[in-house]
Amino acid sequence: MKLLEYRFKTLFKYKDLIIELVRRDLKLKYRRSFLGYVWTILQPLLLMLVYVVVFTNLLGKSIENYPVYLLTGRLMYDFLRSSTMGAMKSVTGNSSLLRKVYVPKYIFTLAKVTSCMVDMVLSFGALFVVMIITGAKFNLTMLLIPLVVVQIYIFSCGLGFFLAQLNVFFRDIEHIYGAIMTAWMYLTPILYDIERMDPTLQIFIKGFNPLYYYVAQFRDLVYYGNIPGPRVFWGGWLIAFLMLLIGTWFFQRSKDKFILYI
Amino acid sequence: MSKNVIEVDHLKIRFNLASEKVDNLKEYTIKLLKHELMFQEFIALQDISFQAKKGEAWGLVGANGSGKSTLLKAVSGILQPYEGTVEVSGKIAPLIELGAGFDKDLTARENIYLNGMVLGHSRAFMEEHFDEIVEFADIKGFLDSPLKNFSSGMKARLGFSVATVVAPDILIVDEVLEVGDMRFRRKCNERMQQMLSEGTTLLYVSHNIDSVKNLCDKALWLDHGRIRMMGDAQPVCDAYGEEQNNLVRRRKEERRARLRSQGKKYDYLIVGAGLFGAVFAREMTKAGKRCLVIDKRSHIGGNVYTEDVDGIQVHRYGAHIFHTSDDRIWKYANRYAKFNNYMNSPVAVYRDELYNLPFNMNTFSRLWGLRKPQEVKDRIAEQIAGLGITEPKNLEEQALSLVGTDVYEKLVRGYTEKQWGRDCRELPAFIIRRLPLRFTYDNNYFNDRYQGIPIGGYTNMIAKLLENIDVMTDTDFFKYREENPKMFRRILYTGMIDEYYGFRYGHLEYRSVRFETERVEEENYQGNAVVNYTDREVPYTRIIEHKHFAPEAELENPKDYSIISREYSTEWKPGMEPYYPVNDEKNSALYARYRKLADKEKKVIFGGRLGSYQYYDMDKVIAAALDLAKQEKARWIAMKEEK
Repeated sequence: MKLLEYRFKTLFKYKDLIIELVRRDLKLKYRRSFLGYVWTILQPLLLMLVYVVVFTNLLGKSIENYPVYLLTGRLMYDFLRSSTMGAMKSVTGNSSLLRKVYVPKYIFTLAKVTSCMVDMVLSFGALFVVMIITGAKFNLTMLLIPLVVVQIYIFSCGLGFFLAQLNVFFRDIEHIYGAIMTAWMYLTPILYDIERMDPTLQIFIKGFNPLYYYVAQFRDLVYYGNIPGPRVFWGGWLIAFLMLLIGTWFFQRSKDKFILYI
Repeated sequence: MSKNVIEVDHLKIRFNLASEKVDNLKEYTIKLLKHELMFQEFIALQDISFQAKKGEAWGLVGANGSGKSTLLKAVSGILQPYEGTVEVSGKIAPLIELGAGFDKDLTARENIYLNGMVLGHSRAFMEEHFDEIVEFADIKGFLDSPLKNFSSGMKARLGFSVATVVAPDILIVDEVLEVGDMRFRRKCNERMQQMLSEGTTLLYVSHNIDSVKNLCDKALWLDHGRIRMMGDAQPVCDAYGEEQNNLVRRRKEERRARLRSQGKKYDYLIVGAGLFGAVFAREMTKAGKRCLVIDKRSHIGGNVYTEDVDGIQVHRYGAHIFHTSDDRIWKYANRYAKFNNYMNSPVAVYRDELYNLPFNMNTFSRLWGLRKPQEVKDRIAEQIAGLGITEPKNLEEQALSLVGTDVYEKLVRGYTEKQWGRDCRELPAFIIRRLPLRFTYDNNYFNDRYQGIPIGGYTNMIAKLLENIDVMTDTDFFKYREENPKMFRRILYTGMIDEYYGFRYGHLEYRSVRFETERVEEENYQGNAVVNYTDREVPYTRIIEHKHFAPEAELENPKDYSIISREYSTEWKPGMEPYYPVNDEKNSALYARYRKLADKEKKVIFGGRLGSYQYYDMDKVIAAALDLAKQEKARWIAMKEEK
């Protein structure tokens, strides 16, 4: 218990640093560009446009308001991708600093995931723009979005910690993970409707793909206007905390050895 | 007793280093499958115990890889001890290495905040101290430009300012300040001094031993992860510096030996290990050229050679007193020797009379009992006028017309005749162009601003110039060249130019001197280093008493004997030691012919007193050697550019 108290104390002590790191990430991302923060919204919009044009013809015909359907899935996936990719490099990328000063190492991982989360929330703007354009209904259930955001945030933190420590020892994780992410995208019902898939594949995806839980919840809230079912809702929380536990456990176990490898 | 801020007790830090660096999955898997994943343990630090008290400044010295930075990391908590304990009480501020805490794309303003927070300060705190930091770092006006546009000096300033915004309990400085300019370094030093006096403990790592000595009162010398020496900064730093120097010397020697054993070509073969050759060899070696110095004598130093005889430095080839007015040359010479303050003031003995030299008021008052300069001038003018010489036909008339009868008879005539072995009336007038007369009571022979003799003798100085340069004594150039015609690219020849060409136009002439050196069982033989004998009846021209050239050695170690050398002028014949070139018309013309040959040489340069058939004082020798070295360096550069 004491240890936990100590951990929270250090977290509190370094909260300004986390905030500053998040600000840095966001600032640097758009500092050089002409449109600045507008890109946060513009980028998913443009990307969506490409997907819509390509996939509406291919498989979207049967899905009503395909742009919103696509975007709800895509936003979740983009966050997971960017946050875990960033987290993976958060320890190795700050090696020069970590070699010199004592700073809790998880700070950098946490800050990275957080800044991506902020980025995602900002890009919800794109979603709303699309919903307005396509005349989609704004449901009251959308007020529950923060619950999903917190879940996937926790999940990403856990996965981020795991990847960050692994990357210290094996640098080629970066390449492997890139491939994994692509596979992950196609194994998640982002572009397509899962109900039309082969039933065994459905069970597989619904059972073993954590991202499915968040995409499903998010879609329920925004696209369908439903309260998510208990299975995906509680499953989402469970998976998030489980991942966090695994991630922190690995991270804690090896963090003292980082210095020898970075 | 103030309390210990840092307490390190039997610290051991061990790294598990894979015997080969495995940092990708493929190799890891392969090695794992083959059971080859061996870990080699590496002890970075062992048995380290020390306590630093409040307000102490500790300098850490040691070679690269000796564990200095590891120790700092252990103290700042970045590394965990494998064994032993590290206890630290208080707040640690590390001075972050350039570029580390800094993000190059952010502006200075943003970096100040970021950096402060990395050190554990809150945002509010940083806001409060922002102006202070900016002012100390002296970067106002650049606050909003990205850090990548900053110079390394500016970054160092910024880092230092942020780290020291509050006096931390422990400040860790790891070779960061070396990049700043002088003014900022001074400012940093002041700030550190101030913090020390306020109770901050400093851990300072630097390769600059002087700065450690300056700033720290304690020092710890690490060697391969263990404490080699610990205690007051001065002795520890000195011992460390001494060892470093030895190491460098040894490495150079090894390199030299390796190249030699491989039979690698030398850039220069330098013939003659005298002052000219030694200075040239040193300069070219500094410029990265490989030199071999050979000398046919059994020792280095050429004519400035001094030999230790019973603890007295004997000037084997005549008295050498270094004097110059050239700051550059004086500085250069002082790099290779410490000079004493010997001042040359010879005395002249004429029968039973004794006079000061050079001719000055002391001389004249002894001669005539006159005290006032004007009286002396009048007396001399009177004597010259009485002779009525208008056009001097020989040396005697020339000298008489310059100094009058008395000075000439007593002090010039006999000495000159002994020197030249001929009657003054038979000598040409041009030998003496002027005889300086001084109308002050000043016995200092030279008019130069600097004067002295290397403490410990000239040989030491030459040895220092030739340090880490291949030298072969007892080696005859012509034989060596015949046996090793391909061992060198260029030759500097400081021997006799006519000898180089096999005397094909005949011999150049020299005046020579002969020394009869003996030990006398007298503590002080003549009371002065140089006593000239100016009457013709005494066969020698002067007696040198060597111990008086080095009063400091005599003071340290008084001896009840002395070494003296009687100096005789001799007619020079081929085969004798050549001393003074005779620059008369005949010899000058002969030299010009040899010079013509020399100018055609592509690979051979001639230099020094014998190589250029010219009398040089030592300062002029050094100057000439430096000039030549400069020319040669320019030549190499030009060659490189051509390629």
